[in-house]
Amino acid sequence: MARLYTNNLNIGYSERLIVKSLSVEIPDKKITTIIGSNGCGKSTLLKAMTRIISHQSGTVVLDGKDISKENTKILAKKMAILPQTPESASGLTVSELVSYGRFPYQTGFGRLTKKDHEVIDWALSVTGTTEFRSRPVDALSGGQRQRVWIAMALAQETEIIFLDEPTTYLDMSHQLEVLELLQKLNLNEKRTIVMVLHDLNQAARFADYIIALKDGEIVKAGACEKVITPNILRQVFNIDALIGQDPRTRKPMCITYNLIKGETKNEENINTISTGMCVNY
Amino acid sequence: MMQIDLIKKQRIILTILLLFITFTVIIGMGLGYSSLSYNRILPTLMGQGTFKETFVLFSIRLPRIIITLLAGMALALSGAILQGITRNDLADPGIIGINSGSGAAIAVFFLFFPVKAGAFVYFLPVVAFIGAFITACLIYAFSYKRNVGVQPIRLVLIGIGFSTALSGLMIVLISSAEREKVDFIAKWLAGNIWGADWPFIWAMLPWLAMLIPFSLYKANHLNMLGLSESVAIGVGISVEKERIILLLIAVALSASAVSVAGSIAFIGLMAPHIAKVLIGSRNQLFIPIAILIGGWLLLFADTIGRSLIQPDGIPAGIMVALIGAPYFIYLLLTKK
Repeated sequence: MARLYTNNLNIGYSERLIVKSLSVEIPDKKITTIIGSNGCGKSTLLKAMTRIISHQSGTVVLDGKDISKENTKILAKKMAILPQTPESASGLTVSELVSYGRFPYQTGFGRLTKKDHEVIDWALSVTGTTEFRSRPVDALSGGQRQRVWIAMALAQETEIIFLDEPTTYLDMSHQLEVLELLQKLNLNEKRTIVMVLHDLNQAARFADYIIALKDGEIVKAGACEKVITPNILRQVFNIDALIGQDPRTRKPMCITYNLIKGETKNEENINTISTGMCVNY
Repeated sequence: MMQIDLIKKQRIILTILLLFITFTVIIGMGLGYSSLSYNRILPTLMGQGTFKETFVLFSIRLPRIIITLLAGMALALSGAILQGITRNDLADPGIIGINSGSGAAIAVFFLFFPVKAGAFVYFLPVVAFIGAFITACLIYAFSYKRNVGVQPIRLVLIGIGFSTALSGLMIVLISSAEREKVDFIAKWLAGNIWGADWPFIWAMLPWLAMLIPFSLYKANHLNMLGLSESVAIGVGISVEKERIILLLIAVALSASAVSVAGSIAFIGLMAPHIAKVLIGSRNQLFIPIAILIGGWLLLFADTIGRSLIQPDGIPAGIMVALIGAPYFIYLLLTKK
């Protein structure tokens, strides 16, 4: 059994459930990606698993304990969260923000110990942010800032890291940079990573395990070859996808796709125009 | 490394502020209706002054200086905490209804009790404190929503609503009162330091002696609450619990200040803001600076105010507003 799993999780209000009796296991020391269309409940699921929002019924279990009954500081030593577009940290320098990740280990007035400083230095160097450690966070570019927030999550020294759309607002190379960093952490440090991603090909390329959601329910959860298939994508995104193999990574990839006829309003155009995309980078 | 640099910078700023305060205190001891020449201050302090000198220094000047400093400090700390928990740099004790709450309580008290010397004076701070406290509790209760708890923005909006409603109530109450009473309330509203007496100092000192260290102890929690709710929960903060504790501290601080110094705005807004500009927004660093700036600002305003027009002077609250209003406008203009 995995360390982290949910059991019949219902999230939302009684009349309108956003996530419906969802039971899923998060494989240890793997990269898990949650995919689904807008409003399918993927962010909601991530937030409930990290106690940011409370759930209506069911349980989220970590190491055999219901997280809603566990001490929040103890949980913070086991799992870190990078929320979607965290608010700006005005007036803070990079190393100050990263040092905030040490909060679960601090007592009293919050003086940083030698160990704290070591972990902060490590988090800065592994995310490649050491060079701007004394710069204000606000003065950084989007990609740099995202790496600093990841460094803060790393300073928490948790075995599980949750990320809600960590690549949003980043350009292509910065997206890849962030994802490769996460992959490195997973391979070298055996961290369990759970994230919500929008891009199917990125999900297929970096995830060991994919959870596909539709209307708050799991359509399919499994290895990417099992999830990134025309049949599953039809159910999840209502698209007719052409799935090929990435010539470099050997992972499945969506080469092109059309909306499925009869389900949208401008159906005349659909067969002639398909959405092209950059196939590999 | 930069951590140490910042601490060094903090020490330097604190020293400069302490010098400012000492300087203002010395000037303040000599200024006023009955004169006390500067070369007599030290002997009088050492207990070698004449009866008149001793009386002026120990019973008039010093209590006023001390209470002003303490009130300024309390307001600044309260403002710093409120800005942290509401994540709003424009928050001020006034927005959680402290000023209007205690004002309304005092106005009600005036309607039912005769103005008399003696015990009455000592009762007023208690009344003001209770008024402020009840108002803060009501605002909290109204901004509480099941399942979500208290959203900072809701707290701010409801606080402003309450504040406006209570000010209205106060005006209605005042308009039906006798002239003599109106005078007192008007003075109170203008922020006149009237609790300038040793018992008030002894009443206020324990609050500050307890709450300043406690706030610094909570500085790390404030850091996290200042980021965003999800981040705060992620690092292991019980957001709702910490918010209530810190809100209570802020209420206690500003209510104690307002109850001896009358309704004073802007200190709680300005002092933390200036401190953040100087040293950044980490609470451990800027809170001590904000406290000293608050104390100094109010003392400075009162020292000028009371020596401008003899014998009554201009209330400290008005002097602070004269400095604070332009600063507030500057803040609004530069804020993105």
